[in-house]
Amino acid sequence: MSDSIRDRLKPAEDTPEVHHAEHPAGDPVVSTHHAYHPDLRNDPKRAKRAEIAVSALFLLAVVGVIGFVVTYIAAPFNFGTANYQTFTPLLGIFMTLALTGIGSGAVLWAKTLMVDEETVQERHHLASDPKDRAETVEILKEGFEESGLPRRSLLRNSILLGAGSLAVLPVPLLFGLGRFQHKEAVLSKTGWKAGSRLLDELGRPVKLGDLEVGGVKSVFPDVPGGRRMADSAALLIRMLPEDLHTSPSRKDWVQEGHIVYSVICTHLGCPVKLYEQQTHHLFCPCHQSTFDAANEAKVLFGPAARNLPQLAISVDADGYFVAQGDFTEPVGPSFWERKPSYSDKVGA
Amino acid sequence: MATLVEKGASGAATWVDDRLGSSNFIKRSLNKVFPDHWSFMLGEIALYSFIVLLLSGTYLTLFFEGSSREVIYNGAYTPLKGIPMSAAYESTLRISFEVRGGLFMRQIHHWAALLFMAAIVVHLMRVFFTGAFRKPRELNWLIGVGLLVLGIVEGFAGYSLPDDLLSGTGLRIAYSIALSVPVLGTWVSFLVFGGEYPGGSIIERLYPIHILLVPGIILALITFHMMLIWYQKHTQFAGPGRTENNVVGSKIYPAYAAKAGGFFFLVFAVMAALGGLAQINPIWLYGPYDPSQVSAGSQPDWYVGFLDGSTRLMPNWELRTLGHTFSPNVLIPTQVLPGVLFGLLALYPFIEAKLTGDRAYHNLLDRPRDKPVRTGLGVMSITFYLILLVAGGNDIIASIFHLSINEITYTLRAALFIVPPLAYLATKRLCISLQQADVHLLHHGVESGTIRRLPSGEFVEETVPLPSQYSVLLATTPERKELIAHAHTEDSEPKAVAAKPRGFFRPRGGVVEPPPDHKELERTVD
Repeated sequence: MSDSIRDRLKPAEDTPEVHHAEHPAGDPVVSTHHAYHPDLRNDPKRAKRAEIAVSALFLLAVVGVIGFVVTYIAAPFNFGTANYQTFTPLLGIFMTLALTGIGSGAVLWAKTLMVDEETVQERHHLASDPKDRAETVEILKEGFEESGLPRRSLLRNSILLGAGSLAVLPVPLLFGLGRFQHKEAVLSKTGWKAGSRLLDELGRPVKLGDLEVGGVKSVFPDVPGGRRMADSAALLIRMLPEDLHTSPSRKDWVQEGHIVYSVICTHLGCPVKLYEQQTHHLFCPCHQSTFDAANEAKVLFGPAARNLPQLAISVDADGYFVAQGDFTEPVGPSFWERKPSYSDKVGA
Repeated sequence: MATLVEKGASGAATWVDDRLGSSNFIKRSLNKVFPDHWSFMLGEIALYSFIVLLLSGTYLTLFFEGSSREVIYNGAYTPLKGIPMSAAYESTLRISFEVRGGLFMRQIHHWAALLFMAAIVVHLMRVFFTGAFRKPRELNWLIGVGLLVLGIVEGFAGYSLPDDLLSGTGLRIAYSIALSVPVLGTWVSFLVFGGEYPGGSIIERLYPIHILLVPGIILALITFHMMLIWYQKHTQFAGPGRTENNVVGSKIYPAYAAKAGGFFFLVFAVMAALGGLAQINPIWLYGPYDPSQVSAGSQPDWYVGFLDGSTRLMPNWELRTLGHTFSPNVLIPTQVLPGVLFGLLALYPFIEAKLTGDRAYHNLLDRPRDKPVRTGLGVMSITFYLILLVAGGNDIIASIFHLSINEITYTLRAALFIVPPLAYLATKRLCISLQQADVHLLHHGVESGTIRRLPSGEFVEETVPLPSQYSVLLATTPERKELIAHAHTEDSEPKAVAAKPRGFFRPRGGVVEPPPDHKELERTVD
């Protein structure tokens, strides 16, 4: 046995002894009062000392409050001014001081100056008297009989139907929360259109040659509000043409080693934008799905089940990248109405 | 002066009592006895955190604008000047940089929310491991589980409101999770968000949910929780004079009330210190929400972390058949798993009662070691939860320890199924060992530190019987009570008292040691 346990088992000198009546095989019974702390009522000297300590703590609260008010009024606060960053910590320190003063004062007060004795209280029996129970059941039954419900089946059925029909009332209101839309059509469409230029984050069109090999650029459709469209964000990646492996049907979707994928993760919709140049991996920071940018963004790892959709691009007469059209499948996470044929097409 | 106060107080009391007859109730309440134990203060921390949440949250509503209307920032925080953002994010910046004490209140509010959830979880563990959920307290257990779930919902709604880059990402994940529900998914997500993500309505809708609906329900449930504690009286640990039919402790008034009141201020003080000194959720560093951006190492608040972890560990199973897409890779970790976990948690008191056939009232708490199976199941669940929580930070672990994230994920996936059962077995074994240690104490007493040499040359250490107030603490089963009754009479052999272990659970070195034969010892010495 360790020392600490032995120490714990030794009765502490201050602890009032608790006496048990010898009670074989039963529960021992307390025969004396057990005070939680020494009673200072007959020790005026120690009581006075305790009173001073408690009062000091209560007065500490006043100090804290004064500090809080002075800080609030006088300390530098505006962003960028000297020492403005000390404002919040100072408020915290003074409020902590005030609350600790009151809190610890109250606890110390209770632990020294108040009488706190162990008291025994009997529990009441929770369950009702069987007689009361029976009477209650009887009253309920009688009332039910008096209401006529058990006899009048027409009344009973009509009230059930009538009251039950009320449950329908909130349903149209609930549907008012959104517009009636063809979900599959809405979810399959993004801002990309045939001939729409690829704009960078600042709204400038991206030209063939803007990007070095190994470089990436966030691109957005050249439509009003395209920069903020939650489903249209895409990533333009340039790699050596010989590194890029696409299926024959997608041969024309890329331009001289440039390829564009939707960045909306097919798992839960986070933007997949962490690109690893050497391995051509695209990594989602939310749940770590990893896609192979060199192989039609095939899933390499993680909870995502489908490739990132690829955007077919070409180059217009002025040398700017344009989309050949919208994505050929819905971008982002799966949903019930999503047709399996979308994925069959690309062999995912 | 004193008489004046007294006169005033008694006058007011008479006025109220004349109209409500409240004295009787107040008298009984003030004399109510509450058992004392440090672990009973965990629930109090949750209650006090909630009060701080209400106070700080009310202050924040005076400044926050729950709106996704786009504005161009022109406030005090110069790095973001001219940037388009939602009014929600702008008003959060205003609270942080232009409202005096606003940042302080925001940080207190956020810390209090984290503390609230932590206190609920630790309180839940205390109630579980001590068996406080048993009859007649199953209802309060259910309310508690409801509060836990509502707390998670409320917290998620709260940290989504500022509409910063981190919270917007969280909302997008929530939308995608709703989207994955079979058949109803698109309807649910479109109706909740007001259309295809971002929908334009979610901040507007989350705001009243966060400041009115959910806190209102939580407040009502907390009230009911406390009323039941009051009415059914608190449980207590075994001890001198404590039985199933009484409460041994101190009276509510005045000492207990002063201590509890003081404790409220101390809990509040901790939150004030955190709110002032420990930065939390610096949304101005994340920037406004932009659907095409995300920061690496995105982490939700800790109480949502286990769901993030389960999502990360899940293999990428998806079913595409019969014209529909079905996504177990999303459904299982985000909906099925929490449904099963919280369902089992809520039903546990009824499951245990069914399996043990125990229908009795229980007002005395169990020591965890006396219920090896329940304690084992509890530790198993905690282990399962912790593995999910760790998995939620797998990217952080990978970058700190320079490990492969793939290997961490595979390892945790396996650990999720292997470690919890092992934790169960180890805990059960440990509980039985601890029981045997208790029995040993009751049999042999405490080592006295006095070494005696026997005529044969052998050294033995003398033991003294365990002081009665401690042996009572160990007397948690009828067999042990019997053992204590016999401990000082020395006239009969006490029966074996610890659980009889089998197989792996068999104690090392064989059976429970027989008690020392004091008489024979004395004869030898004579």
